[in-house]
Amino acid sequence: MKLLVIEDEPSLMQSIMEYFTQIDFLCEGVMTYAEALRKIDDYNYDCIILDINLPDGSGFELLKYLREYKKDAGIVIISARNSLDDKITGLNFGADDYVTKPFHLSELNARIKALIRRKYAHGIDILEAGNLKMDLAARTVTCENQILSLTKNEFNLLLYLINNKNRVVSKQAIAEHIYGDETDNMPSFDFVYSHIKNLKRKLKEKGCEDIVQTVYGLGYKLAI
Amino acid sequence: MQAHHMQEEQLFLKQENVWNAFKSKEGNIENHIAGEYDIIQGANNPFIELGEPRDTTIYYPDKQKWLPFKILTSELHWNNKIYLVTTYVSSTEITHLIIKVFLGEALLFVLLLIAIVILNRKSSGLLWKPFFSTMKKVNEYDITRNQSLVLPAETYTTEFNELNTVIKNLINKVNAAYYNQKQFVENASHEIQTPLAIIRSKLELLINQPNLTEKNASLLGDITDATNRLSQMNKTLLLLSKIENNQFPEIEEVNISQMVERLLNNLTVYYDNFPQVESKIETDVILNANYSLAEILISNIIKNAVEHNLPNGKIIIHLSPSHLLVENTGPSLQTNPELLFERFRKDSHQTKTTGLGLALVKQICTLYHYIVSYKYNDGWHQVEIIFKQ
Repeated sequence: MKLLVIEDEPSLMQSIMEYFTQIDFLCEGVMTYAEALRKIDDYNYDCIILDINLPDGSGFELLKYLREYKKDAGIVIISARNSLDDKITGLNFGADDYVTKPFHLSELNARIKALIRRKYAHGIDILEAGNLKMDLAARTVTCENQILSLTKNEFNLLLYLINNKNRVVSKQAIAEHIYGDETDNMPSFDFVYSHIKNLKRKLKEKGCEDIVQTVYGLGYKLAI
Repeated sequence: MQAHHMQEEQLFLKQENVWNAFKSKEGNIENHIAGEYDIIQGANNPFIELGEPRDTTIYYPDKQKWLPFKILTSELHWNNKIYLVTTYVSSTEITHLIIKVFLGEALLFVLLLIAIVILNRKSSGLLWKPFFSTMKKVNEYDITRNQSLVLPAETYTTEFNELNTVIKNLINKVNAAYYNQKQFVENASHEIQTPLAIIRSKLELLINQPNLTEKNASLLGDITDATNRLSQMNKTLLLLSKIENNQFPEIEEVNISQMVERLLNNLTVYYDNFPQVESKIETDVILNANYSLAEILISNIIKNAVEHNLPNGKIIIHLSPSHLLVENTGPSLQTNPELLFERFRKDSHQTKTTGLGLALVKQICTLYHYIVSYKYNDGWHQVEIIFKQ
């Protein structure tokens, strides 16, 4: 999978590239509108991460251009503007998704994975990780062919972990991903722990033991 | 004294008139009119003091009364004859007159006073109308509500025109300063987002390092927590300035009853020992508000009640079309409860919260003209929102 990161903040761009390189993406990064235009003209990308505020132009212009000439690339906007208008403008111009700074890389990854699945999986909505099999269309999970009965939140949690498999995902990232704005102004994320505990128990019952690991109280990891 | 003097003057005057009339008619006038005058030809007897007013009484048969009179007797000469002329002036009459005149004048004075007051009021009311309308507008002006102050440019009074201009200029300056301050908060929050995003991304790379030790993990855990708090604060500050800038114009009918129930259910998931809830929620309480703001408002109040509760504590929720009351058990307050609505105001021990939750509540209430109050009473914290007055 080829990924283009258009972000004017070098440090952030580097983080994104490092993260996605580690999970076997082919990454390229540019920091200006002009450079981005050149790259888009010369190469094809499966997915493009696009910052709206660029020093020499607006990301929206780039987005319009992209949609005119490269219809297939998936585009995720990252923006410091947390306003609904921007989100709507971005999506109207043909972006596939929208993430607000400061985001979690694991969140960005989950969005990109979902986007790639939508665009390239051609309707096959089955995720596999070791013995686990997730059917996203039917929203069922099987472990060694036994069906797990998961709540909606647990399903989303497991999906998030599978999307970020073999990576440590922080409690905060999980909390924000699954509960969204409802976790605003909450001083602790202990509830993530109890959700993980329940998920682990259910996995263990069906023989998928130790697949979800706790990493020093920092976060969790689905290890295959 | 004055009356006395007047009476004497009247006596002398009357005497002069009577005598003149007597002379001009050559003595052919009535010589005796009771209570008016007597003209007697002949010399004075020595018992009467001449030219000096004296008191006397005359019996009036029709009134069956002795009435007091003042009389004056003078010895006057005409055609070589001596006449004694006595004139009478009624004492009661003059007293009555004095009283009547006094009353009349008093009445006139009072009427005049009333007329002056009414006229004055009317005219000043008209005259000061532009002033009072300006006063009212200035008084109603609320800088946080982001409205512009409209004052008439022409009031037909130079001073008021000047006053309006001065006030307008002042308000414009204040508005500009306030706008700059708001802008600063918003800009700062925006600018903080990028460095925060960098810190977050680097932290995520760090926690994925293969040779992470437990010691480092705990350090990273603390940094992650702090970053998270910073990010929450930032997000909330941004939200606050957005509400201030009126960036939530979409208003719809929000079913608060359903919202409270749903948020309560959702929140129980997050807490292992959720306080015992006792709720009296009237069905279908509808408010016209922005949906997300209403949700932020309700969830912040409930979260607050859960967060600052005691182990095995209680929450009581009352919802009616006119108000929402959330009560919770909790540790006693060290600060004035009303101060908790200020930004970053926390009650001592809580270090993990942002101190912005109630500020957000206050801001939303201000936007929709709800009245919010916080009371602490004997172990119970009460947050009340009155939707309608």
